[in-house]
Amino acid sequence: MTDVRPALTSVLCYRDPRAAIAWLERAFGFELHMLIEGPEGRLLHVEMRLGESLLMVGQEWTENHRSPASLGGKNTQSVHIQLTSDLDAHCARARAAGAEILVEPATQPYGDRTYHCRDLEGHVWTVGQTVQEMTRADHEASGVKVLAWP
Amino acid sequence: MTSKIYVALRVKAAPERAFEAFVDEIGAWWRPSSLFRTTPRAPGRLAFEPGEGGRLTETLAGGKAFEIGRITAWDPPRRLVFSYRQATFPPTLTTEVEVRFEAVGEETRVSVEHRGFDQVPADSVARHGFSDQVLLMRLAEWWRVLLASVGDFA
Repeated sequence: MTDVRPALTSVLCYRDPRAAIAWLERAFGFELHMLIEGPEGRLLHVEMRLGESLLMVGQEWTENHRSPASLGGKNTQSVHIQLTSDLDAHCARARAAGAEILVEPATQPYGDRTYHCRDLEGHVWTVGQTVQEMTRADHEASGVKVLAWP
Repeated sequence: MTSKIYVALRVKAAPERAFEAFVDEIGAWWRPSSLFRTTPRAPGRLAFEPGEGGRLTETLAGGKAFEIGRITAWDPPRRLVFSYRQATFPPTLTTEVEVRFEAVGEETRVSVEHRGFDQVPADSVARHGFSDQVLLMRLAEWWRVLLASVGDFA
């Protein structure tokens, strides 16, 4: 594994971060890599990994960091997981762990199979897997105007 | 209640091999830290005496051995617990390290839980004036380096 922290990392707030750590492992296969707990049992730092990707999990650490569970389910950001295989199995695992499936797995016109779900505190996760490689011409043929293409 | 830091990573070896590397080859994989100096002298070579009650010692260049701790739980290839203290700790202070080895497919997830480091007193040189949060974060980062090194040897 890599020791290097990627340039960009999502930090998710939970009212019960310990429950979230266990849930994220069960539902999505994240692995706990680092956890620091202060003398009063307060979580000071948590890192989980999925392959080379990093996720930080914390409590609601300031007035302005809140779990959707404290905000009537509202999200201001969402984390996306891009798979290379087995999207439907991923969804089944998340569902079995108690994820609320908001959008069932479906293949999109842009070539990805996707599903959306809410985790145990209402964070919305989107998950995708490319099932058909699309060229610029393929997109344009479907009526999409492509302004930039890598 | 005491503080803890937990660090885990996967090594490309079976638990038996990872456990063996951790215990038998600590002299090779250990990476001394300038922040967490075990003794005030130049770093020596670490060695475990395998089995419950076995010592973890650091033999210095002059031949003297410093006892870092003792093995308090010995359950190869699953679990190892040992006490850990630095020469600069107050005489009564010791901390505890628990290492677990779990098979994940053909790899092993090696995790370390180091408990009690917040008990290093505020005025101890072993604390460097750090708050609990900074001290524990540095400790966790050092263990990450150490586990990566175990992974290179396993």
